[in-house]
Amino acid sequence: MAQGTGFVDGIGDNQNTVVVIFLRGGADGLTLVPPVGDDAYYRARPYISIKKKDAIALDGTFGLNPEMAALKPLYDDHALAIVHGVGSEDSSRSHFEAQDLMEQGGATAGGWIGRYLRASSLGNDGPLTAVAIGKSLPVSLRGAPSSVAMESFETLSLGAEEAPFLSALQKMYAHEKSGIGKAGLDSLAAMDRIKTMRETDYQPGGGAEYGDDSLSRGLRQVAQLIKAKVGLKAATIDLDGWDSHIVTGAVMNPLMQRLSTAMSAFYLDLDRYMETTTLLVMTEFGRRVYENASFGTDHGRGSIMMALGGGVAGGRVLSDWAGLEEDNLEGPGDLPVTINYRDVLAPILQNHASHVDPGAVFPGYEISPVAIFG
Amino acid sequence: MNLSRRDFLWMAGAATVVSTTGCDLAPKMIPELKLAKLAPPSFWPVADPFPGPYVAPAGTEKDAVSHALSRMAYGPAPGDYARVSALGVEAYLEEQLSPDAIDDKPCDQRIRLCETIFVPGRELYEYQETLLLEELTRATLLRAVYSKRQLYEVMVGFWTDHFNIDSSKGDCQWLKTMDDREVIRKHALGKFPELLRAVVLSPAMLWYLDGRVNRRATEDEQPNENYARELLELHSLGVHAGYSQQDVMEVARCLTGWTVQEPGWLKRRGRVKFNPDLHDDGAKEVLGVTVPSGLGEGDVERVIEIVMKNPETGHFIATKLCRRFVSDTPGIEIVDTVASAFRKSEGDIPTMLRALFAHPEFLQSRDAKFKRPFRFAVSALRATGASGKMKSPVSEYLVRMGHAPFQYPTPEGYADEAAPWLGTLFWRWHMADALANGTLDGVEVDWDRLRENFGDALASHLLARAPSDLERNAYNESGPAALIASPAFQRY
Repeated sequence: MAQGTGFVDGIGDNQNTVVVIFLRGGADGLTLVPPVGDDAYYRARPYISIKKKDAIALDGTFGLNPEMAALKPLYDDHALAIVHGVGSEDSSRSHFEAQDLMEQGGATAGGWIGRYLRASSLGNDGPLTAVAIGKSLPVSLRGAPSSVAMESFETLSLGAEEAPFLSALQKMYAHEKSGIGKAGLDSLAAMDRIKTMRETDYQPGGGAEYGDDSLSRGLRQVAQLIKAKVGLKAATIDLDGWDSHIVTGAVMNPLMQRLSTAMSAFYLDLDRYMETTTLLVMTEFGRRVYENASFGTDHGRGSIMMALGGGVAGGRVLSDWAGLEEDNLEGPGDLPVTINYRDVLAPILQNHASHVDPGAVFPGYEISPVAIFG
Repeated sequence: MNLSRRDFLWMAGAATVVSTTGCDLAPKMIPELKLAKLAPPSFWPVADPFPGPYVAPAGTEKDAVSHALSRMAYGPAPGDYARVSALGVEAYLEEQLSPDAIDDKPCDQRIRLCETIFVPGRELYEYQETLLLEELTRATLLRAVYSKRQLYEVMVGFWTDHFNIDSSKGDCQWLKTMDDREVIRKHALGKFPELLRAVVLSPAMLWYLDGRVNRRATEDEQPNENYARELLELHSLGVHAGYSQQDVMEVARCLTGWTVQEPGWLKRRGRVKFNPDLHDDGAKEVLGVTVPSGLGEGDVERVIEIVMKNPETGHFIATKLCRRFVSDTPGIEIVDTVASAFRKSEGDIPTMLRALFAHPEFLQSRDAKFKRPFRFAVSALRATGASGKMKSPVSEYLVRMGHAPFQYPTPEGYADEAAPWLGTLFWRWHMADALANGTLDGVEVDWDRLRENFGDALASHLLARAPSDLERNAYNESGPAALIASPAFQRY
């Protein structure tokens, strides 16, 4: 990778970054990427299905929801891969349980990104190795050697008179033995780094047009961190609100627009940096195949994942699709999980850091990697 | 005599009713009045919430009194240590368990300005939803800081998390105000089954978890399972408590037919109504117990009886109480003790709390908890005896730290454990700095009064114990902000 004009030395020059967008609430894969070639889909959803003529054709079975038309060029560029019928083994259909399991990566302490960062660490982690865009750290980042949660870096300052105060804090937090001490030192180091970033006027590249919402604003700052080579190895950001128990379109359409706009802008903005950046989109579970009486769907099992950049062989929908005939469904009528989410993540993480044993990231799980790189 | 704004609105509404025919038309006539915020009287005689004498603890570790004030209250305010030392911890707990007997004038006077928290349910829709959330948030902060009924406020916070409602969803924008008053506050130190019953039929909860559209008018209709699942998983038994997907579906059937009225002719928006036509009145089996057919709205009562009889419910509530009041990883013994108090008392909340605070693990757990942002902010305001109306600057810090009241999106509520909050230190330092240096808009600290009364012991008061050398130096160099921002102040 060419040496950039980054102003931060050392640790950032060989970075690979994984960025995770978590769709919280259980996003309906059958609305995001409808199986328009499957008649059973239309029988199960007389009111809320996406008509074949409205969907953007991806292959013989699947279409892209028209609200996400901005993703089609990325798919055509072979940069975007979609995995369908993906999820975890958790069948509680509980948001909280399923998110926890998916973010932990197993019945074990800490989160999968935390373990990945620990396993891939070369002992040179900076304060901005892992950034959660938002107000708190997600479960997936727990146990990371270093991490910081921030809503945005424009405001991370204590003003012109901060030096003596910060020096007093530095001494007290360095003395503190509990996790609070480490968290304090991480925050102090991050403040220092961000101070430099803040003083830079950032212009997105490639004609990227980010939206004016928290997802777009967050990804824009992630792009800035990546291009500034601060050593960012993982970033997380949430898009909430997918729990479409009633009137699916009303709940999902605005979210799909925000998601696709932000992803498309991020892709254009990062340009060549996309070679070493993988943007992942995941959700805790999909939704019941049958619509309910309030034109929504209840908690189900399989949904989709998306992987953008990082050398994935895109322009494909990967699935083990048996169709939505009743016999193929699971439990109360759910799309079964035919691909475990870890089998998508493991090869991507290994591509980012070949020295990492995926078994250490996902303990207790036998990985059969999905052919995400072709 | 001044008419309150509520009286004024009521009269305006009544006048409209006289001149038209339906009361549902009245709100349409009022929008301009909603914006007209009557100024409070210029002279507002508010009682001193933190009278002396001021005494600070002298030991190098937190003693039992400081510990009690850390856990049963939102941290010690000036005057608390002297009062509770004289009273004794046990007597303080008993006082706190009878909140109605505590004179709360200083707080009552301050929350008067948040008029919408007193508005009856039928009038809530007359107000702008943003005003309702703003005033409810302010009242919550004011009560946490100024109320003498501290344990009651701490329990209101506990149940608000346990029965979380995101006030931004649908009609919860209006109805959460009523839920706070008539569900959470009404039962916060009452009986758990009564609290649960109030929750199940709370119009805000029926909106939040879609219970209002859970119907089965015909065999072909699938009930909406959302609330049924959370009732078992989050509100009573807890996850992995031995119930099945089938149990969830059966509970959902039991709860079909409960609706919240939409606006319409002679219909009061927001009123909970049972519609027998939308109820699945067949027999059900919940957790191995048969709910016979034909009970109609009585199914709710049966569901509550069944979950109350299940030992997992007491165990789950006890675990959550211990996690809040003891440590992130409470021992089995204290959880069993509290669970047993739950079972013996049929969910009497004060009985559970007495059992918890009397257990040796409680006293051993000093400083084991990491303050969540709300507690950090409130404890800082209390420790400094700050005065203020708790307008936006304070609640903005809570938003920044991801802990704004009534704004957690998913039903499990804000996390209790330390880990998710460790990334919020920057904003705590920011707020500590603003509070100590007088740049927190609308909040004032009378440092002269504190220094006069505490003298050299002010640092000990702020930390609820004597400072270490390092803390003493930080205090000498950077003032009280450094102590409020210190690692020690983040624990309780």
